[in-house]
Amino acid sequence: MKEVDARGLACPAPVLQTKAAIDEGVDFLNVVVDNEASKENVLRFLDTQGFDTSVDVEGGDFNISGKRSGVVPRSAVEAPSAHAEESKTMVMIATDRVGYGDDELGLKLMVNFIKTLEEMGSALWRLVFVNNGVKLAIEDSAVLDELKTYEADGLRILVCGTCLDHFNLLDRKQVGETTNMLDIVTAMQLADKVITI
Amino acid sequence: MTFPTDENVIVGLHRADDAGVYKVTDEIALIQTVDFFTPIVDDPYWFGQIAAANALSDIYAMGGVPKTAMNLVGFPLKRMDIGILRKILEGGLDKMTEAGVVLVGGHSVEDNELKYGLSVTGFVHPDKVLTKGALVAGDRLILTKPLGTGIINTAIKGGLASAEIIEYVTRLMAGLNREAAEAMADHPVHACTDITGFGLLGHLAEMVVGSGLSAEIESADLPIIPQAVEYAAMGLIPGGAYKNREFRESMVAIADSVDRGIQDVLFDPQTSGGLLICIGADSADALISSLREKGVEDAAIIGKIISEPAETIHVI
Repeated sequence: MKEVDARGLACPAPVLQTKAAIDEGVDFLNVVVDNEASKENVLRFLDTQGFDTSVDVEGGDFNISGKRSGVVPRSAVEAPSAHAEESKTMVMIATDRVGYGDDELGLKLMVNFIKTLEEMGSALWRLVFVNNGVKLAIEDSAVLDELKTYEADGLRILVCGTCLDHFNLLDRKQVGETTNMLDIVTAMQLADKVITI
Repeated sequence: MTFPTDENVIVGLHRADDAGVYKVTDEIALIQTVDFFTPIVDDPYWFGQIAAANALSDIYAMGGVPKTAMNLVGFPLKRMDIGILRKILEGGLDKMTEAGVVLVGGHSVEDNELKYGLSVTGFVHPDKVLTKGALVAGDRLILTKPLGTGIINTAIKGGLASAEIIEYVTRLMAGLNREAAEAMADHPVHACTDITGFGLLGHLAEMVVGSGLSAEIESADLPIIPQAVEYAAMGLIPGGAYKNREFRESMVAIADSVDRGIQDVLFDPQTSGGLLICIGADSADALISSLREKGVEDAAIIGKIISEPAETIHVI
């Protein structure tokens, strides 16, 4: 059981403190806030993180109890159980080519890079595509098969929703979960090592 | 309190509006407004731009043209580098220049907390003043900027917003309502206000109260910053949004089918938000075309005024 006292704090501080507690991997927590807005915000946040909640009112304070329900799909906020013992490497790919100069060579290198990532074994914990990188996760990507294989083997692949939307590719994505910056930043915090290409 | 008045006051405190209006001659009325606040973005230059755009907006919302302005500054001289103030003032001045407004003076005090804004004077023809009140049943409601800046700013405060969204929302808040006001001048607009701290429904409520009419908002037609709904679902909602909802709850009826995140956006306090324009149904499409021609891309018809005397806002 984790206790969070967020009384006297204005939004978004109570949500951020709750998030920090969840990031430690707790299954039960108690959050105390002293205003309606913070109560609503913390309840919403716990809801999106798959927690069952109840509220007790004590004087002017709201006591929010949260219990991880386990019904909601696991999100990047949680520590992964499968590779918990090993070091966690997150690879963030912000381009569809490796390096600058010759584009054709850059694409070849990227294909090779994605294929060779296999050598990291179970240390490879998250693969995140942002900006031009999201083009590797769509239907005509040269590495679609490799990515699908990784995903089938249990690797979590996150694809930036804002970026897909920007390139009008939302409905052409073929692999990975559409994600947001909060998931990406949280994954960075949880990772032991972040490699950015 | 009793407020002195005279026959030349067109808009004063008896029915508060976006700005005060005083008739000088039969051709010219003076519009006066003042607005200042604490920083809402980290970059001082952009804060200056946003504060200036926000202060100028009240003149546009009255159907007027801003002409002169004065700086209002509160600055923690002992704790902060004076170069920061310089950048804020540069941002404000650039925005005034863009608006064709002349900076004619200002005043600064030492303050524990940084504050910046403008006192602005503008002109309008006395017969063309646009207040909040003159609604007609059947009128269409047009909104000129997307909603959600308060929620996005909360996400920024929490360090959870991406660089792209920070830049997008910064430019949105720094954008003048001038083009929207210019487009409006060519059409028979009935009423107008700008969306700021009370959120869309708070400001719409001010229009509806005392009109003997009601309003209907089509939630599916609202221009909304896409990430705002997502952040709202995560609880990144500013305290002001809850206060706005509480204050106006009794006159608002929201259909259950409206997504909870969108409901939050309806009450989200906006910084330098868009204009909310009320215009006859026959002229609404023409105004939308004019707005688009002026580059006001996000403008949309979001609802209408209905002849229901209860003075209620329905959101469907």
